[in-house]
Amino acid sequence: MHYKILVVDDEAPVRDLFGDLFKKEDCLPVSCGSGEEALAILEKETFDVVLLDIKLPGMNGLDVLKEIRQKYPKLPVVMITGFGFDEELITKSKQFGCCGYIGKNMPVAQIIVTFMQFVKEFKEKGKA
Amino acid sequence: MGVRFPSPANAFMDNQMKDIFDGQIDNVAVLVLYLDKSGKIIFCNKKAESIIGLKHDNIVEKNWLEVLCRGIDNAMKKEMFKAVLDDALVYKRARDFECHLLGNHDNLRLISWNITPISDKNNQIQGSILFGQDITEIQERENSIKKIDDSLKNIISSINEYALYVINLNGLITYFGMGCETMFGYHKQEIIFKHVSILHKIDQISFDLDIILERVRLFGKHESETELLTKAGVAIPVRLTVNQFLDSHGKLTGYIFIAKDITETKKLEYQVFQAEKLAALGQLSAGMAHEINNPLFVISGRLEMLKQEELTPKLKETLSLIDSQTNRIRKLVDRILKFARKSTQPLEVVDVNEIIEFALALISHSIPPAVRINKFLTKNMPKILGDAEQLEEVFLNIITNAYQAMPEGGVIEISSDNFQNLYAQIQITDTGIGIPAANFKNIFMPFFSTKSQGTGLGLSVCHNIINNHNGSIELKSQINQGSTFTIKLPFA
Repeated sequence: MHYKILVVDDEAPVRDLFGDLFKKEDCLPVSCGSGEEALAILEKETFDVVLLDIKLPGMNGLDVLKEIRQKYPKLPVVMITGFGFDEELITKSKQFGCCGYIGKNMPVAQIIVTFMQFVKEFKEKGKA
Repeated sequence: MGVRFPSPANAFMDNQMKDIFDGQIDNVAVLVLYLDKSGKIIFCNKKAESIIGLKHDNIVEKNWLEVLCRGIDNAMKKEMFKAVLDDALVYKRARDFECHLLGNHDNLRLISWNITPISDKNNQIQGSILFGQDITEIQERENSIKKIDDSLKNIISSINEYALYVINLNGLITYFGMGCETMFGYHKQEIIFKHVSILHKIDQISFDLDIILERVRLFGKHESETELLTKAGVAIPVRLTVNQFLDSHGKLTGYIFIAKDITETKKLEYQVFQAEKLAALGQLSAGMAHEINNPLFVISGRLEMLKQEELTPKLKETLSLIDSQTNRIRKLVDRILKFARKSTQPLEVVDVNEIIEFALALISHSIPPAVRINKFLTKNMPKILGDAEQLEEVFLNIITNAYQAMPEGGVIEISSDNFQNLYAQIQITDTGIGIPAANFKNIFMPFFSTKSQGTGLGLSVCHNIINNHNGSIELKSQINQGSTFTIKLPFA
């Protein structure tokens, strides 16, 4: 599972935590603090998956998701938010084509497992 | 035209009565009849002829009772009239009597008679003179005024949220009218001539009433929202209108108070205010929860990673403590988010009884054996529009509160009814410790709890859910007697 993961979150401690957690899973994390930065990085580099926070300065996560979907239809995006399991946000994220939705209120170990599961399912769907 | 006295009368008329009758007696607007002592009509004037509707010759020389009570079936009335005349003659005193008279074209007139006995010089009764005033129109007018008055009284008394009372210039209540007894609980007799301050709140009376009356004197009228006191000492919010009470010369003699009970309006205003406050709090809470979730996520993530390191037992123990406390915060934040969240799930047609049954099945194992559950669910009720999961949470919350309010055990009664074909009304009653009246206002506010372990979010979440269902939730409670939650949910 040596995924190359783009972590987009405006809070450095969150980015760093994900960085460490993904490294432990033998993944390669790259992180940035805004949607605009993320889109710029995606222009230059290829990733296996994007972990995208919803509340971001400037473009919000849902706007970024829409743009990624248009430009990179096969790139899986997992949404994450501190708002927990907000039905409205989940519905919108699904509409815009995310492959999963995670609340920061979940236990950390579960977040990583769930994240990996979402990516795996998305990749398998793509193959089929 | 001269007065036509028949010859037998002329004998004493010449002496006594001629002076009186001389003149325009025919032209006066009252009926005038002269009877001899046997009751025979000796004289009648033009007015009497026209009202009675008989020719002069058909009146004179006839018995007075036959003429005046012609066509009147009421034998009792006739007897009474006769008795009054006899009384006047026997006791030589004037008497009054009201009696109907069948006049022209069978037109029934009401006549007010004055019967005056006539005596000669030796004080011997010679006959009597009857003056009759046609009071038919006056009576009709009075009747119609009375009818208007009665219907006004009916109208006013049917509008029971109004009370009308009047005070004099000394502030004493001189009239305690329609709606007052209902609104204030005083009987008219016990409050008349009491000072009006009895109806005003003590802390207001000193300045409030003086200002009100001053304004009425200056501007003729005053309107304000205030509170008045009932006999039981309960303050009721009212819209008070005070006007000048003037006599027929326009002189100020007192003040008219009209109080409109605005309890229901106030209640609605309070509910709207409460809903707005809760909505604002919801937004604030969601933002706050988000801000807490981020650092919390970092703390628990780092903690998780630390746990996998080689640690001393002491450090392990400390980490485990930090972990459990962090979890506690996470759960609290989850509850806050739940409170703040407005469900976007479309409402479905659901059976409220099924939801109650389901909630009961879920919770039954937690309810202590000393608590008995009585269900009175109305069968075949119309369905409601709702989110079954959310409503289930409401019932679970209230039932949990109910059994927690009965540490010694008791009864929880759960009923569902069809309320006027409009709402499903669900009542959950316990026989527990009750809620102090002072807490009623706060009971649905977030973070308000009387339990040491409570988050204070349970009932506020319930309130939000019911609001999102366009329903209502109300609490009634008495200390040591128990509490009743009444939920109304509109039928689909």
